[in-house]
Amino acid sequence: MRRTLVLAAAAASVATMMAAPRPRAQELGAQNPGRPELGAGADRQIARRKAWEPTAPPSDPRDFTGIWEVPTPKIDLKQDDGSDPPFTPDEAKSTQRMIDAEKAGAVITDASTQCYPHGVPRLTMAPYPIRFVHQPGEILMLHEVAHNVRIIYMDKKAPPKDTPMSFLGYSVGRWDGDTLVVETTHLNDQTRLDMHTSHGPRAKITERFSKQKTAQGFTDLVDVITVDDPDHFTRPFSVTRKFAFRGDLEASLWTAGVTEYSCEENNRNVPDANGVVTAK
Amino acid sequence: MNTVLIAIAATALASTALAGAVSAAPAASDPWAGVPAAERPAAGTPDLSGVWAMPSPIRALKTSDGKDPPLLPAARAEYRKRLAALKANPKSDPVSNCWMQGVPRLVYAPYPVLIAQEKDRVNLVYETNHTFRIVDLRRPLPKKGPDLDPQWLGYSVGHFEGKTLVVDSVGFNDKTWLDYSGLPHGEKLEVQERYTLEGPGRIAGVVTITDPDTFSRPWTTAFTLVKKPGYELKENVCVRDHRM
Repeated sequence: MRRTLVLAAAAASVATMMAAPRPRAQELGAQNPGRPELGAGADRQIARRKAWEPTAPPSDPRDFTGIWEVPTPKIDLKQDDGSDPPFTPDEAKSTQRMIDAEKAGAVITDASTQCYPHGVPRLTMAPYPIRFVHQPGEILMLHEVAHNVRIIYMDKKAPPKDTPMSFLGYSVGRWDGDTLVVETTHLNDQTRLDMHTSHGPRAKITERFSKQKTAQGFTDLVDVITVDDPDHFTRPFSVTRKFAFRGDLEASLWTAGVTEYSCEENNRNVPDANGVVTAK
Repeated sequence: MNTVLIAIAATALASTALAGAVSAAPAASDPWAGVPAAERPAAGTPDLSGVWAMPSPIRALKTSDGKDPPLLPAARAEYRKRLAALKANPKSDPVSNCWMQGVPRLVYAPYPVLIAQEKDRVNLVYETNHTFRIVDLRRPLPKKGPDLDPQWLGYSVGHFEGKTLVVDSVGFNDKTWLDYSGLPHGEKLEVQERYTLEGPGRIAGVVTITDPDTFSRPWTTAFTLVKKPGYELKENVCVRDHRM
């Protein structure tokens, strides 16, 4: 099945990340003339969560098995209070340059739009299903988007010596009560943290995953993401993402709810010989 | 006191018996101890978890008795064409586009595979271009028909027969090759993979290929996987217009 990363341009950059046929958060959250059962506003949100979570996830707070997906996609680094991250002056300029270029109609490209792994935490924020798998000594995150695979090593205190730099880095995890704490380092500087903001090789990303009940009784997998990169930010800062449980995918689709996604099949975000990305 | 001792002895006996029969049962030094109890492979199933690799990669598939696959005439002509094209230009192989390798070719890729076994699924995570297949153990094969949108890796379901994991797959597109030499197939391809644990570090594999548009009969081919203890999958990325 072909999934194409289409032109990520202008204000449509987030929307175009979702060229998938399956109903997505933003589609369900938008006007739904064909889905009157979804109602409006808060009722619609609840109806969607009900549809997504026909059965509850495992009751064990340390069992993340299953498929999770952000219900409200938000691919930026605004802190939870809405403020910008504490950019260094250079990064503030660089980020603003990208935002301005995008507003002016330029195609913003990054590793993921060229079928490279998305980087962390950009991958975590991508609005596609993620399947968590618990294994001896490790936890896997199997991402639908561009078949990214993250392995969280639970049997190590630190990355091995001579760990190479890579798009997804090296992730070491541990339990802090019922919170899974994942530290990722060895990230190469080829990925962005979101569509606009860069990071350097010294970046350390700490993710704290925990299951939390919503007011309506649904289960969120909450991820508090802390970015520590002294070369791009004046101090560490945090953003929060909440994933909804998608038991419905488990029940309704083959390939255990994670649909095949081939970025490579028909990628049109390819730079030409001058490095300029154009739509093909 | 005696009762307690007997209880302990009984527990110890039970644990020993379980540990002997069921590799996935929890025990003191059990690698599965950190895995939520509800997600551990069912008692009695062989433990295939870990990283595996082929001791010798296979380039051109042969049948289990060492013969050429039973190609139909049209498919044989296509195969010859591919052999010639490959000789003239090694990049005529579809994987030169970084497309997914398909099944069973992925099984023969000269890269390790992480088998991540759960109660309800077996996840096959291949190092080559970070490709994975999720094999559901709870449901039958999807119904064939026009509703099944062809995929590079098809649709797979699995079950255990004694020490053997059986994976059945259908719903493939016809853009992949069955092996590195260019063996063709069509969309009617059905693949059965059988992974038999022969010891703690060895899997004997058998693949059955059925495709009435390509082969005159179903045929089987064999492979071996050996465990690579302690190996961690590397990040492997294939991008056609490599610019980073």
